[in-house]
Amino acid sequence: MTTAPPRPPRTDARAERLPEIPGPGETVVLLWRRLRRMSTALYLLLALAAVSIVATFVPQEPVIPTTVADWRAGTEGPGAEVAAGLDALGLFDIYGSWWFATLVVLLFVSLTGCLIPRVRGFVRQARRAPAPGQNLGRLTHHRTVDSPLPPDQAVAAAATTLRRRRLRTRVRPAEGSPTGNAQVAAERGHAREGGSIAFHLSFYLLAAGAMVGVWFGFESQVNVVEGESFADTPVGYDSYEPGRFFGQGDHDGFTVELDEFAAEYHPGQDTGDGPQSSLIASEFASRISVHEGDEVAAQGTVAVNEPFHHGATSIYQIRFGFAPELTVRTEGGTELHADTTNLIESDDLVWTGVAAVERTDVDNQIALDLALLPDATVEGGRLTSASNEPDDPLLAVSVWYGSLGLERNRPAAEFDREAGTRLDESLLLEPGETGSLDALPLEVTFEGLPYWSGFQVAQEPGHGLLLAGAGLLLVGLVPSLFAYRRRVWVDAAPAAHGGSHVTLAGVARQRAETFAEAWPDLADALTTAVDGRDEPADQTTDDARPGSHDPTGETR
Amino acid sequence: MLDLPLGDLSNALFNAAFITYLVAMVLAFARLAFTRVGVGGAPLTTRGAGLWAGRGATALAIVGAAVHLGSIVTRGLAAGHVPWSNMYEYSSFLAFGTVVVGLVVVQRRLGYGHLMGFVLALAILSMTSALLLFTEPTPLVPSLQSWWINVHTSAAMGASTIFIIGFMATALYLVKRTAERRVGISGTGAAPTKPAGADTAPAEPGAGEPTLREDGEGFDDFVTDSDDPHDAATDPLAQRDALSPVTFPGLPFLLVSLYAFWVWGSPVVALLAGSVAALLGISVWYAVPKLPPSDKLDQLAYRMTAFAFPIWTFAVIAGALWAQEAWGRYWGWDPKETGSFFTWVLYAGYLHARSTRGWRGTRAAWLGVAAFIALAVTYYAVNLFVVGLHSYAGV
Repeated sequence: MTTAPPRPPRTDARAERLPEIPGPGETVVLLWRRLRRMSTALYLLLALAAVSIVATFVPQEPVIPTTVADWRAGTEGPGAEVAAGLDALGLFDIYGSWWFATLVVLLFVSLTGCLIPRVRGFVRQARRAPAPGQNLGRLTHHRTVDSPLPPDQAVAAAATTLRRRRLRTRVRPAEGSPTGNAQVAAERGHAREGGSIAFHLSFYLLAAGAMVGVWFGFESQVNVVEGESFADTPVGYDSYEPGRFFGQGDHDGFTVELDEFAAEYHPGQDTGDGPQSSLIASEFASRISVHEGDEVAAQGTVAVNEPFHHGATSIYQIRFGFAPELTVRTEGGTELHADTTNLIESDDLVWTGVAAVERTDVDNQIALDLALLPDATVEGGRLTSASNEPDDPLLAVSVWYGSLGLERNRPAAEFDREAGTRLDESLLLEPGETGSLDALPLEVTFEGLPYWSGFQVAQEPGHGLLLAGAGLLLVGLVPSLFAYRRRVWVDAAPAAHGGSHVTLAGVARQRAETFAEAWPDLADALTTAVDGRDEPADQTTDDARPGSHDPTGETR
Repeated sequence: MLDLPLGDLSNALFNAAFITYLVAMVLAFARLAFTRVGVGGAPLTTRGAGLWAGRGATALAIVGAAVHLGSIVTRGLAAGHVPWSNMYEYSSFLAFGTVVVGLVVVQRRLGYGHLMGFVLALAILSMTSALLLFTEPTPLVPSLQSWWINVHTSAAMGASTIFIIGFMATALYLVKRTAERRVGISGTGAAPTKPAGADTAPAEPGAGEPTLREDGEGFDDFVTDSDDPHDAATDPLAQRDALSPVTFPGLPFLLVSLYAFWVWGSPVVALLAGSVAALLGISVWYAVPKLPPSDKLDQLAYRMTAFAFPIWTFAVIAGALWAQEAWGRYWGWDPKETGSFFTWVLYAGYLHARSTRGWRGTRAAWLGVAAFIALAVTYYAVNLFVVGLHSYAGV
């Protein structure tokens, strides 16, 4: 992004006229001109920064929905009233809002407007041969030398030296040169503008990659218990977000079985580790098999930082938890329920969940409220868990009955606690243990404690574009900051005895002081070259005048 | 994996480095005090006591950095992983990096040894924040157990270190420029004679002098006025008189003590923190005539920022690649991602502003200050006050 070319100067006659209301065409032209300005781009960038600062401190619904819910309820954050205001402004989903999209589009329009003339100018300049110079004696860095070589040879020798120093050169004979002398013009540093253009072009690649990913991919999450499986279909996932152009047929359609889940824990690790204490496992990994039809197509391990790729689909290990397996029978031996229940860590080291046992009879439903202590110990007369490592699991079961609303299409954990009744007695079970209730003719068996494993499954096209964009961004950025434009001329006028009178001159466009340091060395090398001998000539008149103004506006 | 005696050694070395830096800073400020300003653009001279204070400051800063490095290495050995996995370790490393960059670039390469007091002050601030956030060495949580922690985190750290020096130069530039303007020294950046933007027509070949006029692009160094503006400075001490000796300590005192009171709720702590800020403020005020000319400071700020910006860009990209592997998405607008993004945008804005007409000089510099504040917010506030995926790296 840079300044647009100058607008044509306004004529006085126009200024005297009454202001006209611009027509639609003129408005578009005016807007386009304004968007092409560098300062507009800057303001847009600042707006983008400001918006994302807000989005950092206001929780974003797509990122952490639970916190947003807490803000809305007023249990966290600035209070329910403020949250309602934030909601009205759409600040809980800034990145999904239309005005954020508008801002991004405007930035891209501005970028395009800035880039078109720059690319044109760059192509023109890169094609053009280095331009000849005039009045070289007025440049900040110049030196005059006498050479025994005739002008053409002196210039050719200088050109070789310049090319060896990786400058682009153009030799002009006396007839084609504005000074009337043979001259070589040399320059380097086009990588600066080229790099800058590449840097800015990379944003198109990044945007394209991001859009391809969002439109043609899908993202989903699923929790699976050991020994069970999920299918790669829209209904196979717990949460499922397909891209706009992602159809059902685009699924690979395999089935993934969780063969085994393993977690290792830090010995003696203390648990006060904040909100993610379920992650105090030092390592955890899932062994999975991918089934296609009746065949096992692939087997492998998924762990954090070690995703599993199959076909176009990737599987990531995200989280895990405990899934106690319970059997509930009536006294007569009829099995009411035999299943696992996924528990989540609702409090530090306490894992809770609800097993729906009986839901067919709407008025007479039964649910088990479960709380698991993975490593149960008695501390100060109270039951607690010493760690998350399931060394000594203990499951507390309390029974709810009545019209619990379990038939609703909701997670069992959200059953209606107001309408139901909780039995006073509860069971404490170790794995393998069976407990029976006095008040209800039920037996509950804690069969075992498998893990559940939480995966993210996604198809993410567009990564190639994103990588290319990121690469181009870095590759362009470095020269755009650190390549410097330099121009050098060697002009040879014929002198007596077939020799020549040579003027060396150079200017720097950026980092002038490093060029000033390098100039004596370059000038010496050129002097040696035009001298046609090996050792440097000593009849030079070094004439660099520090601080002198050169005709280009370049200084020192 | 956790070796606690080594951890204790690391803490002891940290404290030793902290005290060494403190003494070095006092000596560096003493050197500054003994530095004389020449009248009429003559160079700064340091003699006698100042010379010795300066040598002492340099020696102690080097010793402190060596001890500090020892602290960082032993910390890594004690924890059994790279020593930049939480805020204590990261802040400690930032301080170390700041001192090293200060010694190598500011003092050795540019010869602004008398500015080392400010560099050391920033390092000490970072170390103080490390002390406040101290945690014992812990093993890495699974999501951090990746090769990427070497790449992503160290790049972010390296860039931040250089941004810190850049910020110092930007802040000093703003002060110096204000003083210069008030005593009537014409600006070099604020009103350039030749804008470096693309608003000069592309040159036609063979047209003589205009052949040297190029259409430029963003990120240009300043094209300065040719006549030396500093000849106009008859008495550099007038620059100090042009600035208020009340505002310079007063404003930092007010802001910092209010903030400290808000965080810790203790008037004693607030008073202490405010006094430190006031001391820093008054030393900036005192140093104004001895600071390098504003265009040099601006150049230093630009160089540092331009150097750090690609590294920061790389850190953000590496973070996205790591996030893809660990969390299954490369960008999720997590608070830390958002933070690093707006920091990047603001620094990009600063680099662009320096080559935009009407923005150069102080306006661009203020943008640089905003970018640095964004960096600090991304690092401190996002880790401490906002819940996100980077929260484990918290305290």
